[in-house]
Amino acid sequence: MKLLLFAVAITSALAQNRYTPPKTPWGDPDLQGTWPGNMGVPMQRRPDLGTRTELNDQEFAQQQEQARRNAAADAESTAASDTRVGIGPPSYWTERGKPTRQSSLIVDPPNGRLPGLTAREEQLRKQARDGRGFPGEWRGEANAPDDLNIYYRCITRGLLGSMIPVVYNNGNQIIQAPGYVAIRNEMIHETRVIPLDGRPHVGNAIRSYMGDSRGHWEGNTLVIETTNLTDKDAIGSNGAGYPGDPGHHSAELKVIERLTRVDAETMNYEATVVDPATWVKPWTMLIVLKKDPHYQLLEYACHEGNYALGDILSGARADEAAAKK
Amino acid sequence: MIYGSATFAAAGFILLSVASAQQGQAPQGKGRGAQAGGRGAAAVSSARFVDGHPNLNGVWEALNTANWNLQDHPAYAGPMWETGAIGAVPAGQGVVEGNEIPYLPAALEKKKKNFENRRTDDPEAKCYMGGIPRSNYLPYPFQIVQSPVGILFVYEYASSNRLVNMGKPVEAGSDTWLGTNNGHWEGDTLVIDVTGLNGLAWFDRAGNFASDNVHVVERWSRADKDHLNYEATIEDPKTFSRPWKIDMPVYRRVEKNAQLLEFKCVEFAEELLYGKYKKK
Repeated sequence: MKLLLFAVAITSALAQNRYTPPKTPWGDPDLQGTWPGNMGVPMQRRPDLGTRTELNDQEFAQQQEQARRNAAADAESTAASDTRVGIGPPSYWTERGKPTRQSSLIVDPPNGRLPGLTAREEQLRKQARDGRGFPGEWRGEANAPDDLNIYYRCITRGLLGSMIPVVYNNGNQIIQAPGYVAIRNEMIHETRVIPLDGRPHVGNAIRSYMGDSRGHWEGNTLVIETTNLTDKDAIGSNGAGYPGDPGHHSAELKVIERLTRVDAETMNYEATVVDPATWVKPWTMLIVLKKDPHYQLLEYACHEGNYALGDILSGARADEAAAKK
Repeated sequence: MIYGSATFAAAGFILLSVASAQQGQAPQGKGRGAQAGGRGAAAVSSARFVDGHPNLNGVWEALNTANWNLQDHPAYAGPMWETGAIGAVPAGQGVVEGNEIPYLPAALEKKKKNFENRRTDDPEAKCYMGGIPRSNYLPYPFQIVQSPVGILFVYEYASSNRLVNMGKPVEAGSDTWLGTNNGHWEGDTLVIDVTGLNGLAWFDRAGNFASDNVHVVERWSRADKDHLNYEATIEDPKTFSRPWKIDMPVYRRVEKNAQLLEFKCVEFAEELLYGKYKKK
């Protein structure tokens, strides 16, 4: 048994550890830098691609063609005459990302699809769909601030949402000090300062959206285990669980992240989601991060400039008043 | 050449794997990682960082009444009678050099108005970022993550954070709550030049404030292994007749398990900010 585990360790080492990253002056692997997320890889794989983790030439060419069309649309200085008026930002605000061959963020199960839900979770989701939704979801009502989702309310995208690329401000930055790794996420503005000294997690009653993270090195890979999370957010690009996202999770969620530099410019970010109350087995996603020394994280003062929430609520009240007349 | 280094790295990992296999599948966190952490823990309390500059790494917190009122003040009632003595303000000795904040006349009027409306107008009540200098003496811990690539200040309050650029100074872009931070060492003192502040943050719950013209120069130094000296010079010709200065010690959180926790306060401020728009 031990021998088998040993063989597995070597195989995965050969696959991952071809590159030896530089070291910090105190001897830890140096992961520091700015690693913005890249848009465009779907969370779940198209079922017809089966276990294929990469797009073929033809599928990739289609992706590139779509990217060209998006770029052309973004470059338009005036809207077409038939454009519907909306309140969203103009399309050129959106970070489109660079097309890649990766067929899905989820890499395990091997079909790139989420594993099944537990019976308990099926029941919870049905109740939520038929009722007011989960805390943090938006079911279309605007009677009070907590009818809106946690993203609209500028609370957080939580862990894992803070690592998943979404429309814009996808900056991630790593700063290290002896005994610590700090991971900054530009949107909505998070910094996890992760101790590496093997200390135990905080007490069970201390729960938070970003959780309680502990890190250690396995070779040149930073392994982070996070617990003490809440069930008030969802796993998805905005922490609120839009359709197609993994969505709601329980407070027993444990996230194991593995950060490995695979060449001078590339870091594999893998996150394994362990939540037996929600999914029948753990699943893993892979986000490939490219170092970008020119990317500058900006201060994302979301709540401070959140005019939308007040406008949505006061607009709903104005609609009600108008309907009464 | 690529293959050469790959073989070398793989060989290194096999040695490591043998070591960890010999420890009988030791739980994660032991072995090499714990070693690195151990070295780190020792380095955290040493006086010098690896680059020879003072070591400012740690979890820190101010312990004074500056967040209630920067100046000398007797005890007084809080803005809400409902909270009784819990909401009252303790007496405090000020942190302003000479105790005078040299407001221009119009600015002094605004400060008084701020004080009167502090229950609803103080950005802290709204869970807005603390700005500089206030973030450093809000009643929450903050952590300094000092690296050769920059010095990161992580505040528990509202998850706010700022990275101090220690390289070639950069010019402020658009105004922000925590500003554009350029740092350099003057002997054993970290000097941070803060520009590009938006002037929306107050300095305390008493309504002291500045405009978006404000320029803050902070000076951080180690007093001893568990104390930092913090000074900030505040300059804003639109608001003050001359620059003025605050200074205070900042204390290391010496608990063995000291760490930042999460204080995301948006939910606590929503009733104050949006309650008037709720469906009745």
